[in-house]
Amino acid sequence: MSGAIAGAPATAGSVPTEAPGRAWPHRHLLDTDALTWPQIQLVLDTARHMAEIVSGARPRSTALRGIGVTNLFYEASTRTRVSFETAAKYLSADVVNVSTGGSSIEKGESLLDTMRTLEALGAKVLVMRHATSGAPYLVAREFRGAVVNAGDGRHAHPTQALLDLFTLVRRMPGGSLRGRKVVILGDILHSRVARSNLWTLTAAGADVWVCGPATLLRGFEAWAAAGVGGERRFTVTTDTAAAVRDADVVMALRIQKERMAAGLLPSLHEYAARFGLTEERLMTAAEGCLVMHPGPMNEGVEIAADVAGGPRSLVTEQVASGVPVRMAVLSLVVAAAGIGGGAA
Amino acid sequence: MSALATRPKVDAEIGKAVDLDLSGAWLVDPASGREGPADVVVRAGILESVTWLEAGDGGAEDDRGVVVAPGFIDLHAHLREPGNETAETIASGLAAAAHGGFTTVCAMPNTTPPIDRAAMVIAELAGAAASGSPVRLLPIGAATLGRAGEQLAPLGELADAGVVGFSDDGAPVQHAELFRNALSYAGMLGLPLIDHPEDLALTAGAEANEGLVATVLGLKGWPAAAESNAVARDIALLAEVVRDVPGTRLHLTHLSTAGSLDAVRRAKAAGLPVTCDVTPHHLALTDEWIAGARRFAWAAHGEDGEARDPWRDRGLVAAPYASSLRVNPPLRSAVDARACLQALLDGTADAVATDHAPHTQVDKDMEFGLAKPGIAGIETALGVLLEAVDAGLLPLSRLITALTTGPAGVLGGVVEPGFAIGAPADLVVFDRAERWTVGPDSLRTRGWGNPLADRSLPGVVLLTVAGGRLAHG
Repeated sequence: MSGAIAGAPATAGSVPTEAPGRAWPHRHLLDTDALTWPQIQLVLDTARHMAEIVSGARPRSTALRGIGVTNLFYEASTRTRVSFETAAKYLSADVVNVSTGGSSIEKGESLLDTMRTLEALGAKVLVMRHATSGAPYLVAREFRGAVVNAGDGRHAHPTQALLDLFTLVRRMPGGSLRGRKVVILGDILHSRVARSNLWTLTAAGADVWVCGPATLLRGFEAWAAAGVGGERRFTVTTDTAAAVRDADVVMALRIQKERMAAGLLPSLHEYAARFGLTEERLMTAAEGCLVMHPGPMNEGVEIAADVAGGPRSLVTEQVASGVPVRMAVLSLVVAAAGIGGGAA
Repeated sequence: MSALATRPKVDAEIGKAVDLDLSGAWLVDPASGREGPADVVVRAGILESVTWLEAGDGGAEDDRGVVVAPGFIDLHAHLREPGNETAETIASGLAAAAHGGFTTVCAMPNTTPPIDRAAMVIAELAGAAASGSPVRLLPIGAATLGRAGEQLAPLGELADAGVVGFSDDGAPVQHAELFRNALSYAGMLGLPLIDHPEDLALTAGAEANEGLVATVLGLKGWPAAAESNAVARDIALLAEVVRDVPGTRLHLTHLSTAGSLDAVRRAKAAGLPVTCDVTPHHLALTDEWIAGARRFAWAAHGEDGEARDPWRDRGLVAAPYASSLRVNPPLRSAVDARACLQALLDGTADAVATDHAPHTQVDKDMEFGLAKPGIAGIETALGVLLEAVDAGLLPLSRLITALTTGPAGVLGGVVEPGFAIGAPADLVVFDRAERWTVGPDSLRTRGWGNPLADRSLPGVVLLTVAGGRLAHG
């Protein structure tokens, strides 16, 4: 699975931090699986540069001036869509938002036809959110510009994983996750955030644990045994106490109410009691343990309100990191795709 | 080896009686169990003589070149007419069959409307006659009205109209009591009940075989238990029904898991009248193709028989989520694919059936989980199986029986594959030494998206003769 498969040859772009050995060949960003560690670092370095634009320390960039960025969202999302939109605007892109509740089938137009329409309307970068795993790969097969996956089904959410890493690396003493115990807690089975984070966090050398009820961990024991990318092991447990003990980071995931109707969970109450992230549970974590959540949160279910709003919480920092990280991703894919602005 | 002298030359047009002199090609006759070089003469469609040659008589020295076999029989195909003629018609489906070496095709009843009344059977047979193809279409009737799984279809009337078995195929009967009744009633009529074994409660929304690939790609898992559950139920019901209705026959189609094939193996050992088939794609392809691997199943497991990890092997060479690979049942693990091959070798599987399932580009070229399931593989079946033969895993003679006497046995004598002198010739001639490239230009089906597109396969079908008439060549 590589975002680079359909890619055009890399073109040297105007990315400020590009250095030999870590060129960015990816015309699309569909998942984090295709990224090497140097490429991940390139995103983080570029995002640091972009953060200075966001903070006002540097002037707005014109990197994407005249380039059409279309946000195509088949699932409702405020935070991710606004984050991408803001990022594109900081780069002077022309932003178009297309939101649709139903799937392409319900609309009666195929995803490829929708893509061709948007392409004809000037989209050069397609930021795409879709309920079906793998949907952006179909679009990337034919789209002439760059595709950025903003979440596909339960498969991947690469910019979320990259902004999580950006946030963590900033806060981690020494700036490295190597050997740090990072726990992803919750509905792992249905989580694109968990999957994309497994690639980046193991690439960063973290000791990754995933924890949740057995019904929501189905299949992960086998993946853990095989290793991410066939080599990078992680740990699977249903024991929240064991997971949190000595943890340096705990990332709680949102629990959807549909899981009860599907018979995967007895009740939110029981879930909160066994898997909810509370200050009490965090007593056994490593000193200074950080807490994350990709949002939106069900406070009192997967995460206690005092944890979410407490000093350990990186939740608002995660949201803030989203803009510079997405600016970095947009500028890197545009350079790799050789997309020009203006009348082009 | 392939000798040009043995290449058949036929002047007839499609549908016309054939005159044929095949000299020294490798003949495989599964009815007698004999194979070797032979001369075959056909006059006006009638098989006039078969002369087995001795070594040194100038015939083929081995089975690696031009091979002659009885025409192939497909127990499971979808011709889409009436109702979805953009995906396939009887004419295009039969042309595809002939191109694949098939002279008999059993057509599943999930057309629109379904084949659940005698008038529909008659119309289907009329359509086959009108197509001009000499390929024999054998209709399968629905087991329940409208394939709705609520009450029996008029099985007796369907039998009188000419169906060779009953099946609701992709809408398998979930109600155990109704399935038991269908088994009894079909048994009374002397016809097999064909089940697509799937416990639908376990497969709601399922996208890919439950396993490493589905986990990593975030596709909803399709558990093997969905198949073994249904197979266990069917066999338990069969064991009881057969005591009352000795003529009962159960046929399980496109088995795809080691567990369900084991259950059939045990049921056969216990003497139950159960048969089953496996498909070329479940034998040769695995779920790792969805992740982007493109190696055949026999290269996808280690010496220990366990499935290898394509990520560890750096075996992912194509883009993931190709919707041409979406099929029901799903492509399974290399362990399951090996079990399909083993079942074929030890006789647990009676036949290879293609489950030829063409779809339009509109229905297929879309998001993986939303694409219609099905692989239109009637033209690639021979080539895929020959890959297994070339890999040393499947004797050519077993390939031939799995496509001829095996399915004929399932049908209970409706078709008699062989080389009977004085009867209309029904045969296929293919060249194992020649390869062809799969793609829209080389396929006759209207179905979009073959997962083997752009790949070359061994075994060019030179000639297909059905009922004495030219079907392909």
